[in-house]
Amino acid sequence: MLGEILNTYYLQIGSFILINIMLAISVYVPLSSGQLSLGSAGFMGVGAYTSALLTIHFDLPIVIGIIAGALAASILGVIVGIPSLRLSGVYLAIATLGLGEVIRVIFVNWDTLTKGSVGLTGIPQLGREILEFARGLGFEPAMIGIKNNQFVFLSIFIVLLTLVIVILWFVVRQQNSRVGRALSSINQDDKAAESMGINITYYKVISFTQGAFFAGLAGALFAHVIGYISPADFSYHRAVEVLIFTVFGGSEVIIGSVFGAFFLTLMPEVLRFVSEFRYIIYGILLIVLMAVRPQGILDANLLKKIKIKRSKGGVR
Amino acid sequence: MLLEQIINGITLGSIYAIIALGFTLVFGVLGIINMAHGEIFMVGAFVGVTTTGVLGWPLWMAFIAAIVVTSILGYLLERFTLRPLRGKKGVSHLAPLISTIGVSILLENLSHHIFGAGNKPFNTPFSEISINIGSITVYLVQIVIFVISILLMIGLTVWLSKTKAGKALRATADNLETASILGVDTKKIIILTVVVASAIGGIAGILVGMAFNSVSPQMGLSMGLKGLAIIILGGMGNVKGAMVGGLILGLSETMLVAYGDSGYRDAIAFIMIIVILLLRPQGIFGSKVSQERR
Repeated sequence: MLGEILNTYYLQIGSFILINIMLAISVYVPLSSGQLSLGSAGFMGVGAYTSALLTIHFDLPIVIGIIAGALAASILGVIVGIPSLRLSGVYLAIATLGLGEVIRVIFVNWDTLTKGSVGLTGIPQLGREILEFARGLGFEPAMIGIKNNQFVFLSIFIVLLTLVIVILWFVVRQQNSRVGRALSSINQDDKAAESMGINITYYKVISFTQGAFFAGLAGALFAHVIGYISPADFSYHRAVEVLIFTVFGGSEVIIGSVFGAFFLTLMPEVLRFVSEFRYIIYGILLIVLMAVRPQGILDANLLKKIKIKRSKGGVR
Repeated sequence: MLLEQIINGITLGSIYAIIALGFTLVFGVLGIINMAHGEIFMVGAFVGVTTTGVLGWPLWMAFIAAIVVTSILGYLLERFTLRPLRGKKGVSHLAPLISTIGVSILLENLSHHIFGAGNKPFNTPFSEISINIGSITVYLVQIVIFVISILLMIGLTVWLSKTKAGKALRATADNLETASILGVDTKKIIILTVVVASAIGGIAGILVGMAFNSVSPQMGLSMGLKGLAIIILGGMGNVKGAMVGGLILGLSETMLVAYGDSGYRDAIAFIMIIVILLLRPQGIFGSKVSQERR
C-alpha cells in the first residue's frame, strides 16, 4: 500500500526543495537585518567539502561531519563578517561575492585534497547510512511494505523536513525575541537603532553568522544526499539562485523564502522547457520584481489580507 | 625578466583601471554598485570578436561598434532598472544592487546562448609583432593597450575637470539635490554617467580581448569582481583611486603568476578587499567624509 504511493522521484524533488528552503533562509536571516550576502554558495561549499572530507577520510559518522561542516561555515562567516559589517551593506555584498569566488578557486586548485574541478565522489549517503542503522536495530523496509530505495529517499526526506521545521521554528521564535527586534530595528534604520543602545555590529555579526551556519548545514546535507560534489556546484550562480528564492518569494517575511524556494525549485521540474532558459528568466524576474514589487510576492500586508479573508469566512 | 613582468603588469593593470573607472563613475554619482558592469564589458568584448573575426572589420571600427552597443546597453540599464527605483518610497538601498545582478545574469546567459560556452579567440592583425629592447620583448599589442588606456584616463580626467558636462557630473556626485537646485539637469547627468561608464566598459572589453586573446561569457564575472576590489582598494567613487588601484592589482597578479602559484591569481583581489577593509576601510584615496554620506 505505502509502497505504491511513494514515488522516489517526487521524494527526491521534495528533498531538493527542503535543501533550497534552508538556503533561502540562510539569505533571509542576514537580509532581515539589512545585510545582503552573496556568499551563500561559498558557505555551502565549505560545509559540503568539510563534511564530505571528514566522513571520507576519517570515517566519522555523518552527523558529526554535517555539524562540523556547518560550524566551519559559520566560523568563516565570523571571520569575513566582522571587518565588512562595520561598513555599509554594499561592502558586505562585495566581500561575500569575492569570498564565494575565492572559495571556489581554492576548491579547484587544492588538487591533493579536493580533487580539483573533478570533484569528490563516494561521499557516504545519508539515506544508506540510515538504512544500515535501521537494519542494525532489526528493522527491514519490507516490514512496512516499501522497497529499500524507497526507504532511503523517504528517510532523507523526513530528516530534511524535521530540520527545516526546527530551523523555521528557531527563526520565528528569534524574530519575536529581543534579538529579532534588534535585528529588525537595524534593518529599518541602523543609526536610530545604535542611538537606542543596540550594539549593531554584534547583532549584524550574529545574523550574518546564522546565515553562514544555515548555508553550511544545507551544503553538508546536499553533499550527503547527492553523494557527489564539485566546485561547479558552489559557483556564483548558485548564490544568485538562492538570492532569487528569497527576493522572489518575499524578503520581509520568512514564509516568503519558503514559498520562493518551493515555487522556483518546482517550476523547472514541471515545465521542462523552462529549465534551459532558467537563468535568463531569473534575470528578468529580478529586474521586474525590483521595479514593480521590491518586497517580493508575499509581504506582511498580503498575509494580513489573506488572514482577514479566512477569518471572515470562518465567521460565516 | 623582472622588467618584462613589470611591463606585463602595467598592461594588465591599465585594463583593470579602466574597468574600475566604470564602477567608480556610477558609484560616485548614483551611490550604487552596478553589478552589471562586468557583463556590459563582456558584451563589448564579444562585439569586438564578432566585428573583427566574423565580419572582418578593422580594429578601430570594432572599437566604435563596441562603444555604440555598450552605450545603448547603458541607456537601457538606466531606463529600465535604475530609474524605476529612484525616488520610489520604501525601496531599500539594496534594491538597485539586486536588480543590476538581474541584468548581469540576463546578459551572461543571453551571450551564453548566442555565442556558446567556450572561449572565443580574439585575433588582432598585429598580435605577433614585438619589439626587442636589449633582452626585453615588448609586444605591440601591449603598447597599444597601454596608450589607449592612458589616453582614456587623461581624456576622462580632462572631461571631468574642464568641461561643463564634467563639472555638472561632479556637482551631481557631490550632492544631487544641491546640483539640481543650481540648475543642473540631474536626470540627464545620471543617464550620461551610466552611458559613459558603459562605453568605457565596452572599450575595456576589446582591450581585454586583445590582451588575453580569448573571450568567454564568464569573463564578465571575474573581471567585474576585480573591478569591485579595485574601487574598494582605491576608495569608492574616486577616479584617481581606480587608476592606482588597477595598477597595484595588475602588478601583484603578474608577480604572483611569475613567481608563485598561478592558480591563485584570482584570489588576490579578494585578499586585498579583506586587508583594506581591516586597515583602511575608506580606501587609499577615499576620505572619511564620503564614508559618512553613505
